[in-house]
Amino acid sequence: MTSLRARAVASGILWAVLTAVIGLYGLASFLDRQTDQRFNELLRNRHTQVVVAVANYRQSTADILRSVGEPAYQQPFSGQYWQIESDEGQISVSPSLVDTLLPMAGTPTGGVIISDYVGPGGEQLRGAQEWLTLDDGTNLHVQVASSLLSLQLDRQILRNNLILAFGLVTLVAIGGALLQATAVLRPLNVLRRDVLARWEAEDGLSAEDYPIEVAPLVTDINNLMDRNREIVSRSRRQAADLAHAIKTPSAIVRNELEKLRHQGVPVTESINALDRLDAQLKRSFARMRADGGDGSMRVFTDVGTSLDRMIRAFTALAANDNKTLSSEIAPGLRARIDQSDFEEVVGNLLDNALKWANSRVHLIAVRDGQNIQVIIEDDGPGIPDDDMDTATLSGQRLDTSKPGTGLGLAIAADLAHAYGGKVSLGKSRDLPGLCATFQLKASGAPS
Amino acid sequence: MRILLAEDEHVLADQIKSVLKSEGRVVDIAGDGVEAQFLGETEPYDLIILDIGLPQRDGLTVLKSWRANGIETPVLILTARDGWSDRVDGLDAGGDDYLTKPFHMPELSARIRAMIRRQSGRANPVFCKDNVSFDSRNNQVMVGGMPASLTSQEIAVLSYLFHNSGRLVSRTELSEHIYQYDGDRDSNTIAVFVNRLRKKLGNDLIETVRGRGYVIKAAA
Repeated sequence: MTSLRARAVASGILWAVLTAVIGLYGLASFLDRQTDQRFNELLRNRHTQVVVAVANYRQSTADILRSVGEPAYQQPFSGQYWQIESDEGQISVSPSLVDTLLPMAGTPTGGVIISDYVGPGGEQLRGAQEWLTLDDGTNLHVQVASSLLSLQLDRQILRNNLILAFGLVTLVAIGGALLQATAVLRPLNVLRRDVLARWEAEDGLSAEDYPIEVAPLVTDINNLMDRNREIVSRSRRQAADLAHAIKTPSAIVRNELEKLRHQGVPVTESINALDRLDAQLKRSFARMRADGGDGSMRVFTDVGTSLDRMIRAFTALAANDNKTLSSEIAPGLRARIDQSDFEEVVGNLLDNALKWANSRVHLIAVRDGQNIQVIIEDDGPGIPDDDMDTATLSGQRLDTSKPGTGLGLAIAADLAHAYGGKVSLGKSRDLPGLCATFQLKASGAPS
Repeated sequence: MRILLAEDEHVLADQIKSVLKSEGRVVDIAGDGVEAQFLGETEPYDLIILDIGLPQRDGLTVLKSWRANGIETPVLILTARDGWSDRVDGLDAGGDDYLTKPFHMPELSARIRAMIRRQSGRANPVFCKDNVSFDSRNNQVMVGGMPASLTSQEIAVLSYLFHNSGRLVSRTELSEHIYQYDGDRDSNTIAVFVNRLRKKLGNDLIETVRGRGYVIKAAA
């Protein structure tokens, strides 16, 4: 089980149920014994009453009945009985026994003996019996019996009440366990939200704001996130340095080869190989960049600010080719992406649009629910429907009449994908050419 | 046309210089940012090729400094950093165009021609005046439909006058744009080049304004 909440709730419930079962068993056993003792006490008292009555009115059953004064002894099979035997075999019984008898007396023993047995009609009875020697030397066996039915009923009622009470206690305890789990885990939930907020806003987490049990974790998270940023940042710097170190010599080699080609030396194969090498390097650096994207470092980009400077730069480039670039950018757009990666995607899409446009490119940036859409349309020839899906695949040059590696759209698509976004191509609605849509998560949208 | 090439990799710089020289350009090379900034601020270049990754002072700082000091010379940014953020940084700092390494030399030449042409306010790479035409893409000069044979210095003078047609160009200005920084700038030799051009292309093409300089009037 990996959920702390589930663990806390399950252990709370288990503990509550275990406590309730043990408590119920212990209390029920104690009360059973108490009930049993009270029943036996009552039986002894009844036996004493009969003994006293027999001592005073030995010859008359009616007098004994009147002396005991218990109506149940006169009611047939009421569950309350007495039976007196003399050592001469003379027997007198309570009217409640009607024409039946309790078990006959055994060997005389000292004191009152209590035992359970089956009475009239198979009724479960508990009896108290004693051999007495009267003042005149007569030996009498006095036996009193009570039905166990009332004892069993009392026990049952008691148990039902106990189960109900302990059930309620268990429910309260489970509710308490849930509340406790929520209260205990609350700082962790707050921490999760704070970590997400920090990824977006780059605000630090303050360990003092959390319980002492969580504070070390907060410090570790701070260190981990800083370390993560350093690693990604360093990797990108190293990739940029490596690119610089390779590209300049590559340019030198290319120029030498071109010079040789002009002199009639057959170097076409070498130039082709160098083209493949350059394309592979470009693809690899783009892949390294995409791999260092989402997850490792979540930051945000102010879309308006970033697009403004891109529009400025691209407007100048468009003017070089006598083309125009217009834009509509909704205010307050913030996207969950590193700014340089955002500009890499938009730059590749704008570059492609300007390359193919006849005279005009239009950029729109809007919020669409939890997403931000950057839509770039041009008035160029567009892409045939059959090629729409493959145009964003690496190295797919649909038309070789314009310079380029065919990697721009693929790099844009890969990078967008790394941030959970996408680049899709379609027909332009307002202009006759291609419409490229870059969709990515808005800042504050759920992951 | 005089170009400043700010590139720290001397082999690549020599290669570029060699190609540009063959196209009739005059090229000064600066091997670091400090030298590049000084030359850009003190010499009247027609175009600057600026590598962003220069030692001592990076190219972006140099470019911003030029623009802050009112140097409006067109700048072609040459960079190994091919990320769009880096390119936009360069263009935002005042660059007019960019080219990423590794590049094809013909593309560099084409960009340079286009930038110089735009600077002169022309869209057509072929300049015409009467029966003389000058194709800035290959430096070919035709007189009455027949090719004329010119030296590189004659082409440099003609190219500069055509790119500035309609404007009076002094001998000093001409010498500043056809000689290197460390070259022997004798403005009297300019008169020699102009005379040779007149002999080869006709007397009416280049007019002399006595004491002030030369002009090609209203080239098409």
